[in-house]
Amino acid sequence: MAPPAEALERLVARSALGDRAAFHELYQATAPKLFAVALRILRREDWAEEALQECYVSVWRHAAEYNAARAAPMTWMTSIVRNRCLDWLRKPNPEALAEDALNELESDNPGPLARLEAARDTAALGRCLRSLDARQRQAIALAFYDGLSHAELAQHLRQPLGTVKTWVRRGLARLRTCLELQK
Amino acid sequence: MNCRNKPELRERLAAEYALGTLRGRARERMRHWLDDDPELAREVERWEARLAPLAEAVQPLAPPARVWPKIEQRLWFRKPSSLWKALGLVASGAAAALAAVTLLLPLQPTEVPASYIAVLSDPKTSHPVLVATAARTERVLHVTTLDPAIHVSGRSLELWALPRGGQPKSLGLVAGEKTELKLVAAADQSLGEVPALAVSLEPPGGSPTGQPTGPVLYTGPCVKYW
Repeated sequence: MAPPAEALERLVARSALGDRAAFHELYQATAPKLFAVALRILRREDWAEEALQECYVSVWRHAAEYNAARAAPMTWMTSIVRNRCLDWLRKPNPEALAEDALNELESDNPGPLARLEAARDTAALGRCLRSLDARQRQAIALAFYDGLSHAELAQHLRQPLGTVKTWVRRGLARLRTCLELQK
Repeated sequence: MNCRNKPELRERLAAEYALGTLRGRARERMRHWLDDDPELAREVERWEARLAPLAEAVQPLAPPARVWPKIEQRLWFRKPSSLWKALGLVASGAAAALAAVTLLLPLQPTEVPASYIAVLSDPKTSHPVLVATAARTERVLHVTTLDPAIHVSGRSLELWALPRGGQPKSLGLVAGEKTELKLVAAADQSLGEVPALAVSLEPPGGSPTGQPTGPVLYTGPCVKYW
């Protein structure tokens, strides 16, 4: 269970004031989730550790600029770690091919998408994802969780580049419309 | 950015940036645009918020114990040279604080010179922006802002006491050039165990939670002089 957003907001605010103990608490509360996100994208433990370090160095340095009115603390930190990982993936990186992720999506093994659909507090996004075409949903999940680029998506889904680009674009547009209606 | 008048393209770029499919050179260019196009940055934030629940569904996995010490190392114990540099910065900050205090002391209307003095500065420029003083037995904190530009329209500046090992305590809102804030007890009690003050940017009327919610803009030591 993730700690409530208000508790994390307080820890970020204390970190902004230079409180190292609060920053350590913030790390303990959030690192397992962010490490899992990074590992899933980078697929190498040593790289994920490095990305996690860079993420928290950035969180400490930018804590004073964090604005609770604009993003939940976990959203803010997840974006930081995902951006670090995606920058990392610019380097040629054959190990990052997400064969097992694809297998997971094809198998009965409950991946994050299944957990998402089951989780209550993320119900709106789960519902909206279900309303997408299966191929759109798969493309978006592979891009988000596994950091696949359009070209990698095309390769893994064995489809022309233009086709997967369209799936992603239409999937995102439908997701947005659906989420606005849920509000 | 050359797509300011193309809302659909902006929306698509923001969505693909947040999802992660915008890559390579396109991602770098987008980042440059984000730096000077706050509305585009807001669009990305909205998309990050929409997609954030996806990350919630990832099974947490504790990182190895060696990661935290490495973060500490990178942030606080890097190289002796940078430590010396940091000490130098602290020293020059203290000198600036003293200079500001010397300038301000004659302006104090109280007969007894103030005992508690805090000088808050902008960490980016190291310029002092606000001075707070109190006589040890009085229940009033005199706050003087040195730079009228620190006030932001539609937002409040809230002053906080940062007690040793405790939660920040609000001292009140700073408005205008001179503000008198009522202390809950005489300065010796309210500020005796407070080594530092800070100012955060808050919604109008101050933090709704009783703790800083907005960015912390200025901080500085609170010193008892006599």
